[in-house]
Amino acid sequence: MPSTNRLPAPYGLLLDRDNPIAFSFENKRYQGIAGDSIASALAANDRWLLSRSFKYHRPRSILTMAGQDANTLVQLPADPNVLADREPVVTDMEVRGQNYSGSLDRDRDALIERFSKFLPVGFYYKAFFRPRGIWEMWARLIRQKAGLGVVDQSHEPDYFDKQYLFYDVVVVGAGPAGMEAALRAADSGCEVLLLDENPVLGGSLNYARLDVEGQRARNLRTTMIADVEANSRIDVMVDTVCNGWFADNWLPLIRGRRLYKVRARETILCVGSMEQHAVFRNNDLPGIMMSSAAQRLMHLYAVRPGRAAVVLAGNNDAYGVALDLLDAGVDVKRIVDLREDPHYDDIARSVIARNIAVTDGHAVYAALPDPKTGHLGSVDIRKIVSDGVCGGKGEIIECDLLCMAAGYTPTYQLICQAGGQLDYDDDKSSFTLTKLPVSCQIAGSVTGTWSIDSVIAEAGHAGTVAGNATGAVQQHISLEQPENDADNVNLPWPIFPHPDGKEFVDFDEDLQIADILNAVGDGYEHLQLVKRYSTSGMGPSQGRHSALATARLVARATNKTIASTGVSTARPPFVAERLAHSAGRSFYPARRSNMHYRHLEAGAQMLHAGAWYRPAYYGPKESRVDAIRSEVSNVRNNVGLVDVSTLGGIEVRGADAGEFLNRIYTFNFAKQPVGRARYALLTNEAGTVIDDGVACRIHEHHYYVTATTGGVDRVYQSMLKWNAQWRLDVDIANVSSALCGVNIAGPKARRVLEALCPDVDLSAAAFPYMGVREGSVAGLPARLIRVGFVGELGYEIHVPQHFGEALWDALLTAGSEHKIAPFGIEAQRVLRLEKGHIIIGQDTDAMSHPMEVQMGWAVSHKKPFFVGKRTIAELEKKQQKRRLVGFVINDPNAPIPLESHLVLDGEEMVGRVTSCEYSPTLDKPVGLAYAQPSKTESGSKIVIKSTGGTRVPADIVDLPFYDPDNRRQQL
Amino acid sequence: MKVNTTPEAGALAPTHYPRRSQLYRQHVIAGARFEEVAGSVVVAEYIDKTDEAQQAAKLALVDLSTLSRVGFKGAGAPDWLEEQGARLPDSPNRARRQGDGSLIVRLSTDEFLFLCDLTSDSTFTARLWDSWSFQSTKGVYPLPRADSHCWFALTGVHAPTALAKICGIDFHTHRFSKSEVAQTSLARVSAIILRDDLATTPCFLILSDVSSAEYLWDALMDAMLEFQGDAVGMVALRTLTTN
Amino acid sequence: MRILNCPLNGERNIAEFSYGGEFHRMPEPSNCESASWAEYVFFHDNEAGIVTEWWYHNATSYWFLAERNTITDEIIRTFPASDIFSDRVDFGDDTGSGTK
Repeated sequence: MPSTNRLPAPYGLLLDRDNPIAFSFENKRYQGIAGDSIASALAANDRWLLSRSFKYHRPRSILTMAGQDANTLVQLPADPNVLADREPVVTDMEVRGQNYSGSLDRDRDALIERFSKFLPVGFYYKAFFRPRGIWEMWARLIRQKAGLGVVDQSHEPDYFDKQYLFYDVVVVGAGPAGMEAALRAADSGCEVLLLDENPVLGGSLNYARLDVEGQRARNLRTTMIADVEANSRIDVMVDTVCNGWFADNWLPLIRGRRLYKVRARETILCVGSMEQHAVFRNNDLPGIMMSSAAQRLMHLYAVRPGRAAVVLAGNNDAYGVALDLLDAGVDVKRIVDLREDPHYDDIARSVIARNIAVTDGHAVYAALPDPKTGHLGSVDIRKIVSDGVCGGKGEIIECDLLCMAAGYTPTYQLICQAGGQLDYDDDKSSFTLTKLPVSCQIAGSVTGTWSIDSVIAEAGHAGTVAGNATGAVQQHISLEQPENDADNVNLPWPIFPHPDGKEFVDFDEDLQIADILNAVGDGYEHLQLVKRYSTSGMGPSQGRHSALATARLVARATNKTIASTGVSTARPPFVAERLAHSAGRSFYPARRSNMHYRHLEAGAQMLHAGAWYRPAYYGPKESRVDAIRSEVSNVRNNVGLVDVSTLGGIEVRGADAGEFLNRIYTFNFAKQPVGRARYALLTNEAGTVIDDGVACRIHEHHYYVTATTGGVDRVYQSMLKWNAQWRLDVDIANVSSALCGVNIAGPKARRVLEALCPDVDLSAAAFPYMGVREGSVAGLPARLIRVGFVGELGYEIHVPQHFGEALWDALLTAGSEHKIAPFGIEAQRVLRLEKGHIIIGQDTDAMSHPMEVQMGWAVSHKKPFFVGKRTIAELEKKQQKRRLVGFVINDPNAPIPLESHLVLDGEEMVGRVTSCEYSPTLDKPVGLAYAQPSKTESGSKIVIKSTGGTRVPADIVDLPFYDPDNRRQQL
Repeated sequence: MKVNTTPEAGALAPTHYPRRSQLYRQHVIAGARFEEVAGSVVVAEYIDKTDEAQQAAKLALVDLSTLSRVGFKGAGAPDWLEEQGARLPDSPNRARRQGDGSLIVRLSTDEFLFLCDLTSDSTFTARLWDSWSFQSTKGVYPLPRADSHCWFALTGVHAPTALAKICGIDFHTHRFSKSEVAQTSLARVSAIILRDDLATTPCFLILSDVSSAEYLWDALMDAMLEFQGDAVGMVALRTLTTN
Repeated sequence: MRILNCPLNGERNIAEFSYGGEFHRMPEPSNCESASWAEYVFFHDNEAGIVTEWWYHNATSYWFLAERNTITDEIIRTFPASDIFSDRVDFGDDTGSGTK
């Protein structure tokens, strides 16, 4: 059985009548047709009430049929706040209303409306702030009532992704202007993308009436779409929203589950205009809609919007709507023309010729609900006496449909984001847009151009300008400036206050005329403040239907012009956007050493260090503490192997290599012998310690410098920046990734290596501590550095990256008889702490200078320059405020302090703990802390505020804690 | 990921060589048959896949990381390389094929990347190494590009569109010419991408940080999903080169 | 997203670059006034108008300079650092022989 309000073909451009769709709304089954939106399918079944308003729970229905209001927000099982007038209905869809208590039709919360007098604008701000703290109680109640839909917390993530697109010209909006602009741009030979948020091309040609016969729009549509589709240079994307305009024509487009990031040389925004409602009492009743909404219902969805209609005319478009209604069998009871002395066009004259009653100079003063259904039952029309003032007596006209044709506002959002300025044209009573960037044009009704011929001329001009501007022009096309014969479509003041109120300015937020005026009265005169105080334009439709009326009211109340009042900033996104679209695929770069899988195979627990995976310790999580202690003790007693591939490595080569290092690092490298390594401390211009490593002199003019895992990129960048200024004869290359490295450390390290390095004399005399050698390890080309980070005899071995796993295997095999075992970062941290070595970034902060961290020895004052030199010299003149010291905790029952626990002097904070670990070697906790300079002598005592506030006494000792004579590392 | 990397008796395996691609386990899992090249192995083909050449003509990813390559840079590099017989690209971000099939990529005025041909038969790189020494070759510095970077080939007519899912540069063949080079961000890691077609099949060589090899491989495979892209071996590339 | 025209790589999305701070010439470090050294190290001009800035192309590790209008965010031009720094810079000893 056909649905009550369904019109016959050819009505229903979007419908596929062979495909019926059954779905439910509020648990009741309905029959729709493929192509229907949820709202149109329900309207076809005479189901108009869709939602309850945000504040007063008033019944709401279709207003724009274009997604420009919050009236149609419904709940789907997985998605709240879905626009029912945009969302296609699909088989077995379960749709529910939202924001009601009980049932949608009988919402218990509708009682709130009775108290509306007591809920003035700014109510929350005024009501719930006293006494102090009372808000917390109210908030719970209010929040239960606030908000609209319900989030599905069992939702499983879907596959969303992104794609870049590149075009010469992108045209947003595929109405007559957009299609013409695209065609003319393509004429020049460039690549064009034409996109539209609707499922079909055509824009207003799909539903508007351009002539008495109702043929022109249809014919034009057919021709233009055929031309676009035949043009190989035009790509078309429908069901696609351009959700913002960003610098240099960077456009985010959303279609389905993909976000397209489009770079266009030129953009043409043919985004059209949004019809505006008239403001009068009960203007929100179901049955009252924009005239374009009625046309969309009829032409796109074959839905008869009502049985008996009144058309409120602010312009001649109203008469086209009246003709459409008549054609669809609707009884047009009256055309109420707001204009005193209307200038009729052919269509209007033809309507009058059909004996449709027209009342000029009148307004709908109030709408009245049908007491049984709550739907529109009649309108009270009255003569307009002056701006916004109606006569005392009215005429009641019964109707179930009121179409409002009160005017338009340009779809300004993207244009303002592009830098366009919104002005107000007092003659046209309309917003206008100017001052766009040169590579961004606008055309069509968004510019205020209204007749179809002018629109096409203007859009064609824009298309040709854009095509010519892209440069890739096969054909430069000469231009004539089009003329604009725009008629006036806007009224200056379609706003009619009523003593009983309920003349809604913003439907989303239930804001009436008085609310806006009271906001101004409360002192919020600037539009941005009115918005935030009243919440006008802050609802889901973001001012699409309320901005113009709000601006008019505020302008009049503050005696300003509408142009200077303006609208609030329209930031991206243009429509609500899923976080999944912004997120897309998750790209978290992960870096792995060549030995990565060997760590996993050995049972390592991996941790993240920046993008790197590093082994923390080897063994199950529950035996973490034991694993770390046994790794530490194996290094102290036998030999351990740690993957240091993540360390930075920078080659510095050239005649000025030594000079360059002298300028970059604090130490002096000029006299460093070839084949030796030297500690390298890096400070920035503020004298702060920012990195460290060792500098190995491979050749007179070749140093290999290591840097920390997290610091190397910054160090490398900074080196390049300095030499871009100094222009020394030096080449700087970051080879961090090119090398895999291990540190083999422990008293038996040499014995392991001896079996693998036939070509390097490993004896202490030939290859001493801080020596550097090149040779082979297990047949692999290697660079060996004798280092002491963990305080034992140790060699860092660096090999080309792809040999990493082979090196690891060879060392473990050769070391098995010496009880070699891998150790992780956790053990390494303990080992280095026992040895008193600092970790930059852990034991230093943004203020740490070398003297504070007991690194004065690493600073050469004799050099004419190094990056931090002048500041360090200045700092040395000042009294030190803190110093990094080593401490031990001798009380075995004290809680072990954690990093950032405070060092106290009485109750005063004087420093903090930077590292603290239980030392298996010393069998007590050891740590580093900043303390007052008076407490840095060995034997001093400090107090640490540990976990739970416990004061833990700690004894200052000289560093290192372990092997102070460095005998072990120099074996 | 625990992988049995013990090869079947007689079969060539990555673990037979000390030089191993960061991705070799993935290739083993995918059923790769390996062939020897330049002191290591490369995937020849995947046993269970049919017609890899056809796949490569549509969209495929190949791991070339074990093939030889090297970089030279420095103020003296252009002159010295030309003295050694190199035909250098005229401007940065261009590549130029050499007589022996190898490719020279100019990354900046004085930085060059040498890529061997697909059979790794080219000897030019080795000859350069022989004639270079730190002492005698002033102002020319070698870079360990064979180890700093992984090396992939992305082939097929869908390659530009697949790249457009993870890179902000337009690689469509009418916009990105043969031998053009882009040094850019690919799925958030830095990469050198150059176009080097296999006869008529579009082919993009991708070099990126070696430690990110697995991450980038996975990101590329994900981007290729909707075009039914897949990993293939060297045999497919050679087939397309001669077609 | 803004396009930045890299002198080495041409037009690229600005996300490929890192901002390197305002361009300032270092005062003679060994003998300038403490106040002017502190000004150089710790203070930013933060000017409204056309400023010169360091920019760095991440993928090629390439530093260059850009003139940008901080009011409109318009990038006026970009150029290699060698346009400004054409000669080797040396530092004197502590007595301050000045930069060359």
